[in-house]
Amino acid sequence: MAEKKEKLLEVKRLKTYFPLKKGAFKRHVGDIKAVDEVNLTIYKGETLGIVGESGSGKSTLGRTIVKLINPTAGEIIFEGTDIAAFNNRQLNSYRKNMQMIFQDPYASLNPRMTVGQLVEEPMAVQQTLSKKERKEKVLDLLDKVGLTEEAVKRYPHEFSGGQRQRIGIARALTLNPKFIIADEPVSALDVSVQSQVLNVMKDLQEAFQLTYLFIAHDLSVVKHISNRIAVMYLGQIVETGPKEHLYANPLHPYTKALLDSIPIPKVKRERKRTKLEGEIPNAADPPSGCPFRTRCPFAFERCKVERPKMREVGDEQQVACHLYPE
Amino acid sequence: MDSKRNPLETGRIANRPALLEVKDLKTYFYMSRNRIAKAVDGVSFSIQENETVAIVGESGSGKSVTALSILNLIPNPPGEIIEGTIQLHGKDLLDLSKREINKVRGEEVGMIFQEPMTSLNPVFTIGNQVAETLIKQQQYRKKAAYKKAVELLERVGIPRADEILKAYPYQLSGGMRQRVMIAMAMSSSPKLLIADEPTTALDVTTQAQILDLMLDMKEAYHSSILLITHDLGVVAETAERVIVMYGGQVVEEASAEDLFNDPLHPYTKALLESVPDLEEDQDRLTAIPGKVPPAHDFPKGCRFAPRCPFVMDKCLAIHPELENITARQKVRCHLYEGER
Repeated sequence: MAEKKEKLLEVKRLKTYFPLKKGAFKRHVGDIKAVDEVNLTIYKGETLGIVGESGSGKSTLGRTIVKLINPTAGEIIFEGTDIAAFNNRQLNSYRKNMQMIFQDPYASLNPRMTVGQLVEEPMAVQQTLSKKERKEKVLDLLDKVGLTEEAVKRYPHEFSGGQRQRIGIARALTLNPKFIIADEPVSALDVSVQSQVLNVMKDLQEAFQLTYLFIAHDLSVVKHISNRIAVMYLGQIVETGPKEHLYANPLHPYTKALLDSIPIPKVKRERKRTKLEGEIPNAADPPSGCPFRTRCPFAFERCKVERPKMREVGDEQQVACHLYPE
Repeated sequence: MDSKRNPLETGRIANRPALLEVKDLKTYFYMSRNRIAKAVDGVSFSIQENETVAIVGESGSGKSVTALSILNLIPNPPGEIIEGTIQLHGKDLLDLSKREINKVRGEEVGMIFQEPMTSLNPVFTIGNQVAETLIKQQQYRKKAAYKKAVELLERVGIPRADEILKAYPYQLSGGMRQRVMIAMAMSSSPKLLIADEPTTALDVTTQAQILDLMLDMKEAYHSSILLITHDLGVVAETAERVIVMYGGQVVEEASAEDLFNDPLHPYTKALLESVPDLEEDQDRLTAIPGKVPPAHDFPKGCRFAPRCPFVMDKCLAIHPELENITARQKVRCHLYEGER
């Protein structure tokens, strides 16, 4: 861990707000703070896992980083360049470096295109390779994700969920990206197929030196694939750290509760649980101070008035919680 | 997770009379002239009183169709229960008239589904729907029904129940909607609650709450639960006995303890190994190659044979039967022949 890691992407004070409008004149009455002052660093070659429940803003964060959604404020620094304010044309040369894999392999592939066309399409748009080179690359990629050559002429509906996700991965890899954002890539799949896809993703990371931002709600999957983990709650990152530390010694009460709620496929008698009451608050009307205080068993006065800052605790682990000294 | 979860050790299981007994159930779907999907193909199992049984399997294994068959909820056409008996307290549910089975559905067997949004009517308030159940099934008067509805919602842990009665389903979160479904399902204190992937659409923290609520209701009403799920973690947390399904058939049946500590069928083993382990670091996950065979085109021999790491010649030719290995564990696999 001592070696200096090279930053690939840095996100600084990133905010993505969705305006709430009301009435005949669409009066601006407030914002849904989907991403609220997020700071993140992703190093080359690593996998950063983002976990959180639905409504935590993890998908919006991923989409904002690739600029599928424009941020309200903040910086997105990719290899030294802030792309937050870039327009579509300026982004064109960056887009090939960042690709996305989506959750639903049924919805993200055009049903009227063959697999060959689907995988070739991004290269045809960027126009850096000749037609022949593109065809060769398609075959090479399909082979790498574990599909046979005959897949080229077939349509997405002929494939199972796991195979479709492989097609989505092949498509994301066509432009030799450096950075891949995978938004719940295996949550629609059965466990036995899920592990096939996770293995493919790990192999490809090694083969192509990819950096992953892996967004998921399943903590055991995230643990398996990630090097570092960030926990999100109501648009904010409440804890980050290397996975070994975060799972063995969760600091934030929310991380603890989240880990305690995972059902483990082993028959065990004694299991202490921090149970969470209630549900995630409405992002349009978040609590004052700490976002988690309404459900936190340890909440005290300060949590109500002051939003906790990130603080370093121990070895590379950071937490936004007043229980720990700044 | 206390002692009452493990009746096997106390020997309670043997004394409990069977509540539900499913024998040789076959539910087929007629897709086209020559294509018959054998979604459920000869399934037998039983549920004792006050017992939690889980059916676990991947998509396409036939677990949900089994659950729907119990209450005769198979859409016909294209589906049809072509063989078998389903006895609840000795009464065959497949012989009942439409009216009689309706009565069983409301009073003796409650059911909750994965997506409560599709089971609740979006244009009626929660109160309206809960009260209607009570009026229709238990002959409540309107006023008394609303009063009882508040009680029921409070019982399942819904805060401000009298306000929630006036809310529409879309105004509630997924967890709250599932609580409403449980309240409705339990309103007539049924003997059996069938829960088909009840927590799959929910977040982990909400899932833990809902599973606790289900077990709590089961104790309070002395009912049994048939839990259908793909999540082995959920099974380990709730079930006393587990039925593993693959290709429309039961491939293994055991107490939760035996199944997780000593799985027999290669499919069960592989399934358990393919879940990423939270406590240990693994470089690679064990994956099961290939995919679940389609229900209209099962292999001739063992249905798991094409994906099985221990496959023998015999497996490709002869279809194995479900056999008892011990008094409490059954498996459908040629590897265990002669071990009885």
